[in-house]
Amino acid sequence: MIRNIPEKWDLEADVVAIGSGIGGLSAAITAHDYGASTLVLERSGQVGGVTALSMGEVWVAGNHHAKELGIEDSVESGFRYLERLSMGYGSTAAILNLTANARHALKYFEDRIGLRMEVIRDCPDYYYTVSNDSVAEGRMLECEPFPGQSLGEWQPRTRLSPQMPYGLTHADMFAAGGVANMMKWDFAKMGERLTNDERCLGPGLAAYFVKGALDRGIPLMTGASAEELIADGTRVVGVRVVDDGRDVFVKANKAVIVAVSSYEENHDYNKTLSQQLDLGSMLFSGINGANFRLAGPLGARVARVPDITSLGIRVPGEEDEEGRPLWRSALAVIGQPHTIVVNRAGRRFGNEAFYRSFYYTIDAIDGGNQTHPNFPCWVVIDSQVREKYPFASLTPGQDWPEGFGARADTVAELARMIGVDARGLEDTIARFNANAEKGEDPDFGRGTHPWSVWMCGDPFHKPNPNLGPLVKPPFYAVELHRLGGSAIPAAGILTDQDSCVMGWDDRPIEGLYAAGNSVARMETGAVMQSGISNARGMTHGWLAARHACGDPSPLLRQEAERLGL
Amino acid sequence: MIETEQSVTIAADIGTVWTFARDIRRWAGLMPGMQECEIVDDDNSRWTLKVGVGGLVRTVRVAVHVEQWDEPEQVLFAYRLEGDPVQGGGSYRAIASGTEATEVTLHVRVEGGGPMAPMWEAMGRPLLPQLAKGFAGQLKAEIEKAAGMAEQAIPLAAERRSWLARVFDWLRRLWRPAST
Repeated sequence: MIRNIPEKWDLEADVVAIGSGIGGLSAAITAHDYGASTLVLERSGQVGGVTALSMGEVWVAGNHHAKELGIEDSVESGFRYLERLSMGYGSTAAILNLTANARHALKYFEDRIGLRMEVIRDCPDYYYTVSNDSVAEGRMLECEPFPGQSLGEWQPRTRLSPQMPYGLTHADMFAAGGVANMMKWDFAKMGERLTNDERCLGPGLAAYFVKGALDRGIPLMTGASAEELIADGTRVVGVRVVDDGRDVFVKANKAVIVAVSSYEENHDYNKTLSQQLDLGSMLFSGINGANFRLAGPLGARVARVPDITSLGIRVPGEEDEEGRPLWRSALAVIGQPHTIVVNRAGRRFGNEAFYRSFYYTIDAIDGGNQTHPNFPCWVVIDSQVREKYPFASLTPGQDWPEGFGARADTVAELARMIGVDARGLEDTIARFNANAEKGEDPDFGRGTHPWSVWMCGDPFHKPNPNLGPLVKPPFYAVELHRLGGSAIPAAGILTDQDSCVMGWDDRPIEGLYAAGNSVARMETGAVMQSGISNARGMTHGWLAARHACGDPSPLLRQEAERLGL
Repeated sequence: MIETEQSVTIAADIGTVWTFARDIRRWAGLMPGMQECEIVDDDNSRWTLKVGVGGLVRTVRVAVHVEQWDEPEQVLFAYRLEGDPVQGGGSYRAIASGTEATEVTLHVRVEGGGPMAPMWEAMGRPLLPQLAKGFAGQLKAEIEKAAGMAEQAIPLAAERRSWLARVFDWLRRLWRPAST
């Protein structure tokens, strides 16, 4: 192990968390409550991390909120559900560790920091009706609205999302018919929440944890970029931080926890670690693989699981806070009625309403002619979408922006405008329409997953909420771009059951921990489930702090014994 | 419809304030997020603004039409967003509140249109007071800055000012370079 101790230390804490998303803050809060002095380092000017950009879902099997509602669920059922998602690419121990500990970590933060969570009613697991261990509702939780004003001077410094409608909860949105039925949302409530700064979804979830840290007097150092870990030859003992161009050496008596999310803003890492080309990103620029650069010199082991490439859209005139063109996910848009996605041949190539199936096809390679047959691709809609549904950030009644995709009175003309095979597109739409009228998609099974209906369907549209013919001109097409998975990466640092970073010798690196999306996704393996990322961050941070403070969780061993694993 | 009203007291006489307010370019320059102001004619202009909502920054183009100029007390205006179903209007009203002070009140209203009208008004609700407050604050600062410079150039005007006003001016000059 390296030995790079500075001549003098500038700051000192027992536990130093790098990153101010749910992973870093969970660790800092827990360590503080164990009596340790703690410090949070945040590279950007705002706290809350990627957690604040998320939908704020937290997936916890066997949680007490579901139990109170009489929903039947258990740790072992959640474990089996994730095992199936994993397809053998994950780790049985990691999967059981998450399911055994997440519900206790949840209860811990609810009891300690005033986190207020509730079941998202009628929100099914991705694989409800497909997996025997899925549930129709109960595992997906969200926070109650958080009063932003209670953050005091940290109110403007706690991150908000440019993409998420954080003035409403899932319950608010889906009671009105979901994303597709935005026209039916309660905008009076949304306006009141925005005016009073009551934060829902990811911004709300992140704010609860920021408040938990502030209430404890935990220093949150923004603009502090962790550049290098410091070791004494046997263990990690500190961090070199660059703050305003100056090196600051921070001593960590018990632990350094790397919770800096992933590497989506680093195109080189995307290409070499995830085999993804030219990704757009909905994140801020700091999410660029610092986890590997920090832990790599200590010999941290890296692991990778299969991953998807998402699809995104940029609407002209929208920027993020860094002045960069804003990316929006196409996920909900492409599964709405009167909508299809086609490739150059004008052919559909998957179930657009179920991204966990569809997005595996984007980067498929045809070795015969060295092409990606499904990329580039275009979303095609008819005017019914423009009249009824949101399309990215465009809402009914808004003009179609200049320079945004193409518009034509006939399908053939539209195909010519975007460079897609016209006959192919006409045939595809004719076939799609005939089946959509019957509420069927014999080609790809669109509209058969309850989650697809929940996420991107119109429950008022008959006979199938995800299927509607494209018949009303003008027709519109927008080219879709590759998009990262909102910091959910293919590759990450390998950790053990206590979130200790593992070396290539399969032994923990003393004093070094990792949490959240910095960690390899051994709990999910090949496939993901929404809400897992926030659950991982919360649980990893809690486990790391407990271990660092001398009280490691016994739950993995206990559950393994109980289940005979 | 949503509306807001913001008032500021500017340490300048109503004539000085009007000299500033009647120039639409100067108005536009004070607007938070202003990128470009194209003057069409005396009464019409086209503003390009970057407006922040949460973490989102959106470029909007606004056609502004001055309906009435009533020197030196009042301006009535209307506006319309290009591409978005949003329009509105408002007023600028100035009242002399002393020989060297003018109270300016800005009133702005927003009306969403089309099927998503409630959404546009919901998004505008927290934004509108911020924009109006920012504008009013900038208006005050700019006019007082201009008035202060004029005072330096014309000592007679400064001599008419109260001792307290001059101390405030001095303090403002001390503070200004550090804040810009």
